[in-house]
Amino acid sequence: MNPLKLTLLAVLASGLAGAQEYDPSWQLNPPTTSWPGYHGDYSGRRHSPLTQITPENVANLGLAWSFQTGESGQLKCSPLMVNGILYITMPDHVWALDARSGHQLWHYAYPKNSGFHIGHRGVSMYKEWLFYTTPDAHLICLNAKDGTVRWNVVIADSQKGYWMTMAPMVIHNHVIVGVSGDFDNLTGFLKAIDPETGKTQWRWDSTPPAGTPNATTGGMTWMTGTYDPDLNLLYWGTGNPTPVLNGKVRPGDDLYTCSIVALNPDTGKLQWAFQPSPHDTHDWDAVETTVLVDGPFGGAQRKMLMQTSRNGYFFVLDRTNGKSLLTVPYGPVNWATKVDGQGRPVSNPDKEPAPDGRLIAPDEGGLTNYRSPSFDPKTGLFIVDAHPSYGVYFAKPADGSFGWAGADYGVWGKGILEAIDYQTGKIRWTHELGPGGAGAGVLTTESGLLFTGDAMGNVLALDTKDGKTLWHSGTGVPMQSSPITYELDGHQHVVTSSGGVLFSWTLPDSLVAKR
Amino acid sequence: MKIRFDSALRAFAGLVFFAPGIYAAQAPALPGEAIFVQNCAFCHGRDAGGGEEGPDLTRSKLVAEDVAGDKIGPVVLNGRQEKGMPRFKLADQEIKDIAAYIHAEKKLAESQKGGRRGVEVEDLQTGNVDAGKKYFNGAGKCSSCHSPEGDLAKVASRYKGLNLEQRLLYPRGSVASIVVTLPNGDKLTGKLAYKDEFNVGMRDTNGWYHSWPVNTVKFTIDAPADAHAELLAKYSDDDIHNLMAYLQTLQ
Repeated sequence: MNPLKLTLLAVLASGLAGAQEYDPSWQLNPPTTSWPGYHGDYSGRRHSPLTQITPENVANLGLAWSFQTGESGQLKCSPLMVNGILYITMPDHVWALDARSGHQLWHYAYPKNSGFHIGHRGVSMYKEWLFYTTPDAHLICLNAKDGTVRWNVVIADSQKGYWMTMAPMVIHNHVIVGVSGDFDNLTGFLKAIDPETGKTQWRWDSTPPAGTPNATTGGMTWMTGTYDPDLNLLYWGTGNPTPVLNGKVRPGDDLYTCSIVALNPDTGKLQWAFQPSPHDTHDWDAVETTVLVDGPFGGAQRKMLMQTSRNGYFFVLDRTNGKSLLTVPYGPVNWATKVDGQGRPVSNPDKEPAPDGRLIAPDEGGLTNYRSPSFDPKTGLFIVDAHPSYGVYFAKPADGSFGWAGADYGVWGKGILEAIDYQTGKIRWTHELGPGGAGAGVLTTESGLLFTGDAMGNVLALDTKDGKTLWHSGTGVPMQSSPITYELDGHQHVVTSSGGVLFSWTLPDSLVAKR
Repeated sequence: MKIRFDSALRAFAGLVFFAPGIYAAQAPALPGEAIFVQNCAFCHGRDAGGGEEGPDLTRSKLVAEDVAGDKIGPVVLNGRQEKGMPRFKLADQEIKDIAAYIHAEKKLAESQKGGRRGVEVEDLQTGNVDAGKKYFNGAGKCSSCHSPEGDLAKVASRYKGLNLEQRLLYPRGSVASIVVTLPNGDKLTGKLAYKDEFNVGMRDTNGWYHSWPVNTVKFTIDAPADAHAELLAKYSDDDIHNLMAYLQTLQ
């Protein structure tokens, strides 16, 4: 047994009730009374062992409380829940809430700044401290008790065009952070920060320094990765190359953009890399959650990594070495001529952006985007909010070779939930979510339920085995985050957001008492 | 040779894109710039020339008609939910500042000769008129709904360039018709106003809104725009360019 698992057992044995300090090893197998990391646990499956809410009783689900941020922005974060306290974020804002009542414990407002305020995906925790990334690319360490600032360090130069939205990832004593920055030719990177001091422990660059001849820039690192403690490997998806739509000035595959990389979290050393979109010219970041699953594949037991990538393909890799097990589209795609021997789609040069336009499936937002998919172990289904769509892409020499370097326009799209059989890539069932697209994340639970949202603003509970609707509630505008769940006072809660409001759903006492 | 050309292009583009941006040290920044960068630039580009999904505002008809935020303001405050643009809660002065910044970027963009993003009418002239007409009346089955003398008469005078191509590919905002049969057998005819998997809503011919749980009424929806979505999987890029060539003759 590895030492981290022993630590976990010790933590569980000591009981969490009295423990206020957060230990990152909780994410190895989180207590069901918490949601201690962006994905809950390190695996990225967004699957909970909780079974109180079932397909049979979910019709009785009701609102325990809601919390109004009072902000006009949208909650795009995955809440953290540790020791009965929820932590949620928006750009420039962090709130701590009592998970029992939804009332605010404290609110932290970051000073006005000119970074991009496009969204924020949450905080992470280590001991009694929270870690929060800012629009102008700082990392802030807050005291979880009261939201006061412990330290503030610069991660990247926002004047050069970097910004940050991501929820940091805590592994051992490393706070791992990534950056955004598509509007300039900038190098993407990951940094490990010392949670005690804010000092940089290591840095890994996804692309060469800007200005390197014939080389790409980009490969931004704006989504939280996943982690395998037994292999001690950190998995991370990287973003598109820059210039974004003009591939001529960056010939070749443009490594390591649009890639899934495996790094040693203690050193930042690259172990292997797999590239879902070699030489991307459509803004298809491969940052979607790298879901870690152990199970049978092709008759053998495998340690796998799965991704429904923004480019429209579902990838299954052997996560010990990055070798492809399966590559298959999960919706309309028209930009690749074939899949090569290494499982990588080969892009069609005729589908690169052109002066008179190219019709491309999917559109720039991709067949899915950053909101989490979920893996349900019982059914073997990988469930994703998909966005079948078309866009039209333009680029001409006059658009130059800096930043966007072209123009693209969404034409049409819709939202559809897909349940993919991971061993074959076959879609077992679908559930229409409405015109345009939904964009909500997915949570599954061991009782056979899944939670997500539709394009009209309904939060939905579906039967995982067939996608049939079992419960819904209108929440005003579509959910732009991924649901979480935990147990508190003997009640299972499911937490969702819509606009600037957070909702906590649970069963009435009468039903819970019967159990 | 190619390398030298690319390097020159990069240097040139660098100038063009840096000049209007937040790094222009020589000109004092407009007060609207910071607000624009925070709230708008991700979708519309830092220079308002288009970014992720959001259109180029320097060529927007609405911006051209705007005076001190009178047209821009309502869009900012209300959003354009159907196109994915959220509402922004900004003060009057902030909207005026944003509008001033967009107008300044528009002026700057118009003063530049090339070196900028965007789609010109002349970019969309690579198709063949005869092939487009043949596709319109044949494989595309466009003529089963449209006619060059009827609904498409003078279409190229009403829509130009990219705007025309976007309408061709999928006419956003087109409203479906609905006929609802009530439990007592009465029929209501009107325009579809809302639909999810639980409820359906419509606006009747007098303009009144009605809605029902979907399992309490029978209804049929006629959404002709769906035919455009179905064609997307069938087009070659040449088909689109040829159709554009043909439609542009309908002046």
